[in-house]
Amino acid sequence: MLGGCVTASVDEMTFDAPTAGMRDGSLVVLGRRHAPDYDTEPDFIDCIGGHISRGSESIYVIPEQQFVDSLYPWFEPRTAPLSIESVGRLMVLPTVAGKLQELNVSYMVWIDGRTQETNSSGSMTCGVGPTGAGCFGFGTWGTESEYEATIWNFADGAEVGKMSALTSGQSYMPAVVVPIPIIAPVQDTACESLGTQLLQYFSAGS
Amino acid sequence: MVERLLDSMISGPSAKRFYTLFALALITACSSREVIVDGSFPTPLVDPVPVSLGVVFTPEFREHQLVDDATGRGEVSWSVSTGVAQVQFWSTLLPAFFQNVVFIESYDDLETYDVDAVFVPEIADVQYAIPLYTNVKVYEIWMRYRLRLVEPEQLKDNDKKTLSLDNMQPFAEWPLTAYGKTPTAFMQSDSDAVNLAAVMALRDAGAHFITSFGRVPGVMGWLENPEESQ
Repeated sequence: MLGGCVTASVDEMTFDAPTAGMRDGSLVVLGRRHAPDYDTEPDFIDCIGGHISRGSESIYVIPEQQFVDSLYPWFEPRTAPLSIESVGRLMVLPTVAGKLQELNVSYMVWIDGRTQETNSSGSMTCGVGPTGAGCFGFGTWGTESEYEATIWNFADGAEVGKMSALTSGQSYMPAVVVPIPIIAPVQDTACESLGTQLLQYFSAGS
Repeated sequence: MVERLLDSMISGPSAKRFYTLFALALITACSSREVIVDGSFPTPLVDPVPVSLGVVFTPEFREHQLVDDATGRGEVSWSVSTGVAQVQFWSTLLPAFFQNVVFIESYDDLETYDVDAVFVPEIADVQYAIPLYTNVKVYEIWMRYRLRLVEPEQLKDNDKKTLSLDNMQPFAEWPLTAYGKTPTAFMQSDSDAVNLAAVMALRDAGAHFITSFGRVPGVMGWLENPEESQ
């Protein structure tokens, strides 16, 4: 499969990076799911977590589903803390505080955003007959990803940074008998951009 | 071209292929979608409420099914069976949320077990939406429950020695709403997405139940003195 072009821009505002590295704790990457018209895609969260894990052996990333299940029902869309201050209210519950201590969570990264199609045009006709099948035409569509990561430091009870990634690209599908998709890897690029920024932040000092 | 197509419909191996493809296309376009909700549900991380609770799952609850016959609208009909998942979910949640839970199935169970109250959940409504209807790229499920807490004695039909819900007068009765959604995903079928949205709705029902139970009128007083008759 051929790839289309993607443009990406990343913004970062962070402070208090873990200067001693992440050897003593783990981090969890979670998706925001409380918006009425979209969910941050679970596979995007997996992609970010995987990018950080592969980038540094010293960073342990707790899988999102494992974390949310082990702390059910406190990180469901209805109950998830929207600010680091709300985590304090959760820590009052001995079972929750104990579980977070057991998981050794040092940092929590919340990702909010989505990938969506922005425009599409063109037309394609496909047919099937006894002698074979084929398509003819041309289609194109644009895709845009916009994600924001918010980092919470559990030990200090503070929000320590925000990063955002905005990527967009145009995909094409010409077809002369066989359709040839030229897909712009927009979400993958957003994952790589944001994942790399987060990796740099958590690798500081190690 | 048309002649060759017609020829292929009348005889030969390509006719079989054509008929098969045509039949498959027809079945896909007109058939209904059936989802039997299936998922795994985590045990809640809570300090158990110090009461002994009986639980009655009625046959309507155990076999709950949402049926949307859309043939009149020219759309695909849906059948979403939530009953098995409901029982599985509440059977995981309740024993973790209350100190002692007994599942009541008969008059003898009521006679045998000494419980402070009996919990009777009922599904009042379930609705669904798919991107085809809303133009929003999420699949959604809404659930509305009618939850009741009743004294054990009220469920006993002492004449017939049976368990009866006909004349019960709950000391606490409240509605509970739940919502689940899941985004569209590459290579994910409508049925898989509706299943996932239903699982999310059940999880949300549990989250709503746990976080609101202590504030329900009628429950607050009962929790202060569960063994005293209401």
